[in-house]
Order: sequence, then C-alpha cells, then structure tokens
Amino acid sequence: MAVAVLPIHYPKEILTALDVLSVELWGPPGAPRGDGAGRIQSYVCSLARNALAFMAAGGADAVDGVLFPHTCDSIQGLATLATDFGGWGKKAFTFLHPKGPARESSRTYLEAELRSLVRDLEPFAGRRLEPARLAAAVALHREIDACRAALLDGRPRLAAGDPELYALLRRGEWLWPEDHLAELREARDRFREGPIRPGIPVLVSGYVPEPPALLEVLERSGAYVAADDYAAVGRRVVRAAAAAPDPWQAVLDRYWAAPPCSTRSADPDERARYLTGLLERSGARGAILHILKFCEPELFDVPALRRAFAARGVPVLVLEGELELELSGQAVTRVEAFVEMLAAGRAA
Amino acid sequence: MRAAAIGVDVGSTTCKAVAVDAAGRPVAHRVEPTDPRIEPQVERIVRELREETGAVGPVGATGYGRKRVPSGRALTEITCHARGAFATVRRSGALVDMGGQDTKVIRIGPAGEVLDFAMNDKCAAGTGRFLEVILGRLRVPFDEVSAQVSRAARAVPVSSTCTVFAESEVISLVAGGEPLEGILKGLHQALAARVAALARGTAGSGEVFMSGGVALNAAMVGALRDALGRPIHVVPEPQLVGALGAALSVLPGSP
Amino acid sequence: MILRRAQFELAGRVVGPFLASLDVWKRQLRRRRRAPRESPFGPPLESVRKLKELMTAHYFQGRFADGAVPVAWVTSGFPVEILRPLGFHAVYPENHAAMCGVQRLVPGLSDAVEAMGFSRDLCSYARTDLGSVVTGRTPVGRLPRPDLLACCTNICQTVLYWYRALADHFHVPLVLVDTPYVYGEAKPHHVRYVRDQLEELVRVGERISGRRAEPEALAEVARKAKEGTDLWADCLATGRSRPAPWTGIDGFFHMAPIVALRGTDTCNAYYRLLRDELRDRVRRGIGGIREERHRLLWDNLPIWFAVREVATLLAERGFNFVCTSYTNAWAEAGSRIDPRDLIGSAAFSYTHIILNQDLPNRLGILRRLARDYAVDGAVLHSDRSCKPYSIGQVDLKERLAAELGIRVLLLEADHSDPRAWAQEQGENRLTAFMESFG
Repeated sequence: MAVAVLPIHYPKEILTALDVLSVELWGPPGAPRGDGAGRIQSYVCSLARNALAFMAAGGADAVDGVLFPHTCDSIQGLATLATDFGGWGKKAFTFLHPKGPARESSRTYLEAELRSLVRDLEPFAGRRLEPARLAAAVALHREIDACRAALLDGRPRLAAGDPELYALLRRGEWLWPEDHLAELREARDRFREGPIRPGIPVLVSGYVPEPPALLEVLERSGAYVAADDYAAVGRRVVRAAAAAPDPWQAVLDRYWAAPPCSTRSADPDERARYLTGLLERSGARGAILHILKFCEPELFDVPALRRAFAARGVPVLVLEGELELELSGQAVTRVEAFVEMLAAGRAA
Repeated sequence: MRAAAIGVDVGSTTCKAVAVDAAGRPVAHRVEPTDPRIEPQVERIVRELREETGAVGPVGATGYGRKRVPSGRALTEITCHARGAFATVRRSGALVDMGGQDTKVIRIGPAGEVLDFAMNDKCAAGTGRFLEVILGRLRVPFDEVSAQVSRAARAVPVSSTCTVFAESEVISLVAGGEPLEGILKGLHQALAARVAALARGTAGSGEVFMSGGVALNAAMVGALRDALGRPIHVVPEPQLVGALGAALSVLPGSP
Repeated sequence: MILRRAQFELAGRVVGPFLASLDVWKRQLRRRRRAPRESPFGPPLESVRKLKELMTAHYFQGRFADGAVPVAWVTSGFPVEILRPLGFHAVYPENHAAMCGVQRLVPGLSDAVEAMGFSRDLCSYARTDLGSVVTGRTPVGRLPRPDLLACCTNICQTVLYWYRALADHFHVPLVLVDTPYVYGEAKPHHVRYVRDQLEELVRVGERISGRRAEPEALAEVARKAKEGTDLWADCLATGRSRPAPWTGIDGFFHMAPIVALRGTDTCNAYYRLLRDELRDRVRRGIGGIREERHRLLWDNLPIWFAVREVATLLAERGFNFVCTSYTNAWAEAGSRIDPRDLIGSAAFSYTHIILNQDLPNRLGILRRLARDYAVDGAVLHSDRSCKPYSIGQVDLKERLAAELGIRVLLLEADHSDPRAWAQEQGENRLTAFMESFG
C-alpha cells in the first residue's frame, strides 16, 4: 500500500512499520491545470492550489490513500476540500500534530493522536503495528537521518555539486526507505571527503528547493548551500543521541527532537537560535530565506530571523517563489546580486 | 581622449552605454530604446563608442539583457548601480533607482559596498511603467508632467494598486470632471507610496539618492521626498548610473 | 496600586459612560441641525446609543487597566469565560483592528510593520495590531499593556504566529489553546487535549492574577455567557421577519459586546435592550432598509473599510443582508456552555465553532441560515486575509446555488486593508449581481 503525504511532518516510522510507502507531494510545481485549478483562490499558496488540481486530475491515483498533516490553515482547508467536496475519492488520513510550545498537554495529546492514526492505518495496511517492526523502522530511519546529516553537515568538504546532492536527498520523498538508505550509503562512499570546496558558503532556509535551477544559479554564481534548513530536507533530519528502548517512546522522542519549524512548536527565537548555530558550524556568510509566497507560518518569522542574522553581520536575501517549473529572470538577478554582494564583502 | 572601458546597461525599456577613461571618468554615452534583437543593437552601440572614443578596453554588461552582450562581463544591476552611484556621489546612503520595469533600493556602505538591497520587478505598479501607461493614455507629454503637478492645488487620490485598474480609475476621474493636475499629483503620490514601502525596510536612516529614467521627473522626486519624509539627492546623469557602474567594474586596475 | 485600581473602577463606572453619552449627545445635536436626507435605510436603531456608550466606556476604562487589574489580550474565539472570574480585563486586538479598518487607518499601521520585514500578504488584522503596538497609534486613546496573551487557534493558525510576535514585543507569557480541526467528528482525545489546555490556562491565569478560580465564580460567568449567547441569538432571529428590522451591517457593529464583553452583566443587559427594540420593530413592521425587495446572506468577515458604502449600494436597490455566518458564529459558540462544567463544555464548544469544522459542516450552516432567513441570494466575501474562511468558497458558491436555487456572488476583497480592494471593480460586480435578480 502507498499513501500520498502532504507536507511537512508525519510519522514515517509508523508507515514503514506498517509496510506502507509514503510518497510526498511537494506541489507538484508548475501552474495548476485541469478542473481543480481554480477551486482555491490565487492568494493561497501554490502548494495547496497545485496539490488540489493534481489530485483532482488523477495525478495521485497510483496510491491508495492520502495523509494530511495539520501543517497550516491552507493544508487544513485542502484536506476537507479534496475529500469532502471532490478531488480525492480514496482513503484519507489526518495527522493533527500539536502546535505551540511542548507542554504536558501536547505530549499526552501527541501520543493519543499517533495511536489514533495507527488504529485508522492498520485496517488500511492490512496488518497490526507490531513493536518489533516499529523498533526496526525506528532504527532504519535513524540510520537514514544519520547519513543525511553526515552529507549535509559535511557539505563544505563534499566533492559534489548542489544539484546532484539535492536530487539524491529528495529521492527519499518517495523511495522505499531501505532503497533510499542504500543510495545514501553509496553516495557517502562516492562523495569522498576532500578539501573545503571553493565558493561562498550560504545558509538556505525555506520550504522546498524548487525549482532545482535555483541551486544551479547559486553554483554558477560561485556559492553553494553549506547549511540547509529546507522543510523538505534539513528541517526533518533528526539528530537524536540514542533511541529509547521502547519504540513508541522513540517515535515520540524523534518528533520532539526534530529541528524547529514554524508549522509545529517553534517560536521565532528558538528558530533563530537554531539557525545561528547552523550558521556558525557551517561558516555560512549569507542567508537566503526561500519563502513560498503566501506561506503565513514562514513569513511571520522573517523579521525575527532578519534581526538574528543582522546581529551577526550576516546579509539576508528574502526570495519569494511560487513553485514554478522555471526560475524567473527576476529570481536569477536577485540570487546573482546577493552572491556578488557577498563576494565583494570577502574581497573588502 | 582614449576610453579605457565601456559599460552597457541593457534595460527592458532603454539601452544605455557609457565609455570611461582610465581614471573612470565618462567620456561618451548612448541612450536608445531597447530593440528586441538585443545582440545586434549592443554590438552596434559598442562599435560606435569604440570609434568615437578610440576605446579598446573591455565591456561590462548589466541589466535585464546583460547575458546577451557579446564578450561582455555580466554583473547584476544591483552591483553596477551601487558602483556607478558611489563613483559620482562618493558617500554612503540608500540609492532608489526607478527604471522602466523595475525599481530597486540599494543600501551603499562607506566604501561603496552593497550592504542590502530590495527589488520590485514583478508588478508594474511600482515602476516607471505605471506612469508611462497612464500618462500615455492621458496624452500628457513627459516634459510637461512636472509643471502640471506643481500647479495642482490638491492631489486627487488614486487608490487602485494595479496599473490596469488605475488606468480605468483615472479615466473615470477625468470623466467626472476632476482637475487633470490633481489627478497627476495623485498618480505620483500613489507610485511614491509604493516605492517608499519598498525603501523603508532597506534604506536605513542615512542619505537617500535617486537614479534611473524616472528621476528626470521632478514631480516624482518631490513625491518620493514627501513619502519618505527625507531630502532626496538626484545623482547627476541618473539614467547612466548602471552603465557607468558596469564600465567601472571592468576598468583595468579596479577591484 | 490601590489608587490605580480606584481610577480603573471610576473610569469604567462613571467617567467612561459620561464621556460616551456626551459624545452621543453631541452627534445627535449635529444631526438635528442638518436637514433630513433621502436615505435608503430605515430609522436608525435607538439602541446604538447605548452600544456606543458601552464600547467607549470599555475602551476608556482600558486606559487605566494596566497596573490596576491583570490584563489579557485575547483572540475572538478564546474561552474568555475562564479568565473573567480571575479578574482579568480582556482586550480584543481583533475588535480594535476592526475599528482601525473602519477608520481606514490600516495602510499607515501596516507600513510600519512592513518596514520591519512583515509581508503585506499576511493577515491584515495582524498587521494592524502589530502596527498599532509598534507605533503606539490607536483610535481609542491607549490600549493597556497585557500581563498575559491568550490565543485559541479555533479561528485560525495565524493567531498563534501573530501572538508569538506580540509575546516577543511585550515579553509576557503566551497561553495557547490549540484546537485540532474537526474533520467529521471530533475524536475524544482531541477534546481531552483542549480540556487539558484549559486546565493549564487556569493555572497560568491564577498565577498571574493572584486569585483562585472558584467553581461558583466559574459557574456564574458560564451562566452569563450562555445567557448572553442566547440573547444575541434572539436578536439575530428577528432578521427572519419580513422586512428584517435591521441590516446585516447593524449586526456587524452590534456584535461587539458578545465578542468583547461576553460573560458580563453589561453585555446581557445590552442585548435585552436590543432584542426588545428589534422585536418592537418587527411588531410595527419597521425594516432595516426602507424597501426590502431582496434578502441576502453574507459569508465571511465584513469589508470593514467599505461597510457603509456596500450597505448603501445594496439598500438603494432594496437589498439587505438579513443573516451572516459571521454574526451567527457567536450565537452558536456559547450555546453549548454548561455552567455545571464550564471547563469541559468550553473544551467541546470552542472546538466546534464554524471555522474549526470541515466544509460539509460549513455548507450545512449556510444552507440552514439561507432557509431559515428565506434569502434569495448570497454574497461570499473572498477575504484574502482570512484563508480558513475563504478556502472552499468557490465550491460553496456552486453548491449553494445548485441546492437552493439562489444567486451567489464571490466577491474578492479584504476585511481591513483598503489597498486590497479594487473599489470600482468590486462595486461593479455587486451592481451586476443585483441587476441579475431582474
């Protein structure tokens, strides 16, 4: 069985343990087409608009179900629109994760919500969730995260271009976890650690690295992504020390240990602290906030993040995108101008 | 006087070129409407300038068509406008450049370095195109605008945020008997408000300079001064700032 | 502290109401001196005088609140009943932002926070409120500093991001009641989560106010809140008559007490007055507009900065909004409050407000309103600032039109930023819509 999963946060370990494949739906990018295209207003982010059009046009018919996390108001609305008013006729699940700071009520609730999701998934998957399988799934995803972390943290010394690296990492959005792990291991051997690569290191925080051409422009201009805080990539890499022996507890711990995200529990200060830590460890000299237009959770954090970076003398570029297939000339100019600015700063 | 470098600013509306001597002083220039076939046009302009000034030096290119300049070194308009403005004014501040299809604000540091920038190039309503469309529709020649606006007793507010809607709003105002001068003043205020909003987050508290074709419109300079509440210094030869910066960027011996 | 408290009480009970009535008296004097104009509206409600007094007094008293009593800034969907027995003075940034919207103050306030890096694409209420806080500019003299920020995500997730920014500015605790969205039916653990958060809220509230939440006091406030809700529902129900005794616009303004003063005697006394006046008008056949030819339903927030223009445009052609999903929301939220178990019933009730439930539920509410109020058309305000309310309207429009055989207009605007409203185009669409009724 397979489920399409809307961004961002969901319990991969549970799906893996139930032998359900997750296929993440980050858009898809491009103008929404078909009958569903106009059903969500144009002042809503293109992720919700594109996803509805895509599902309504049968784009996700290859999977058996869809999972909607409670990411934001737009995905919340998309879930009822698609399943209740047309666009998705098969099974639909929700993962209504808690918001705000981690309180006792949120911890209790998260466990209850996950158990409820499991109860709904079991008949769909045709099997019960067994503790041994859950433990194995936790171990598998821990290893995947360790490989991803190694690649992302070791970025400055990897002999690989950003387009190549991101293509590899993003395959994890739809591959069976074991296959993704095999590819990651192979890549770690292939991208042998070498001297620090040339180019200006930048930190990128945002939603999803689309279009991939953005990474190419960055590279051509003489920069590379040294620190990643994309919701689709770095923001879901859990760097937890050791897993609790009880697999349920491990799943809960992994949820709370993930990097801060505006759509979950983080307050802007927590995010600012995390990002400045990333900045320092990576040596990044500039920060790009690659925001999806109309994305309220991300946009509200911009002033606090700007302040935090300014306090460290790190220039910031706020780049708004709309999940296009092509990178617009205007976006290219902004990225090139930003890198020119950083390069001149180094020379001065 | 032998020129040592040439800079070309290929905008979507106009194509500008400047030839500079070894000391970076402008010795010749060109301004033409941009031809859709950019490469032959730029080749001709560069050839003409070389013939006029005896220049054999490199070509720097900026603007929307910068990558289409044959054997030119391409740099963004942000870097070039900062360089060109600083070469002229020789001090730090915020540069507001209003072009035909884009508006940018660049904060320039004491050594001429770019500290921050913001651009509006996705919507015509905050650019020179806004005035161009409506003035064209009202058949007001560009060189009469400033005089007319200064005669206005009060501004007639133009509230539409979209150029297309503003056009029809203005037509209604004219039909309704509102004085043309007042409408023109309102148009300038509307555009200035948008540019000021872009500037406020980036400009800082220092001096404000202005460049670009729109800076030749005194009414616009005045409206922006009012919107920002600060004096504005128009850079001499405001339209050529980008091309000058591009030339300086390739001048032998420059950083 | 004692002096401050005395000022607060005096401001609320004596000075505030006096200033308010003075203001109302001055307006009346001005109106009598002017010749009567041709107005498409019926005679104005007498109760509006009392409403202005109430709200003026509330905001005037607010100027003296900080330092006198604990102050909480609260979202409109927050279970404020729990804070009242602890002596909190509640401020509603949304209500304040609506006022700024009506008075067209939003662009200036928004400019101030846009300069800080907040996008213009963000909710205009948030930009207005943050802009007011950052600049100190407000049409109500002064808003008291909060000791507590209290937000409930039942109306939207945006309030959490907005109130986090407020917490960052004021450095005071933010208490959150996170309500999971209801798809179909709320699961027991969802309601338990909300209940747990309300218990946490009580503890935080007690700590800040220095008072205990006594069960009798909670029950008393619960009774008042439920009574106020029922009285508001009675007021709204008078709109079913032909002609409706008041306009939809009246409803938007008279909604202020049930939002901002819910759970108080003042609120309930006011709605008794209003209800009696409305029922009297029904008996005497007095309409909100002079010639009611068509009855409409309004969905989503009002367009605050154009509320009178839109109402007049419609009234001139005999159209009146006799019901709105927005005003109706406050006749439903408190109706399930049970004084015997305020915390438990509030957890259930506040989870089930219109914006926290799925689209089939929303369609059901619109359908029921349309039938009960016998409307022959509907305007769905596609409010760019309010995604939870606006997403789904394209489908709702088609379904309402098909199921009920009524004409429905989807109107793009914003609830408080006039820069997002193309006035001429918007009024054109409304006019064309009205013309289509023949």
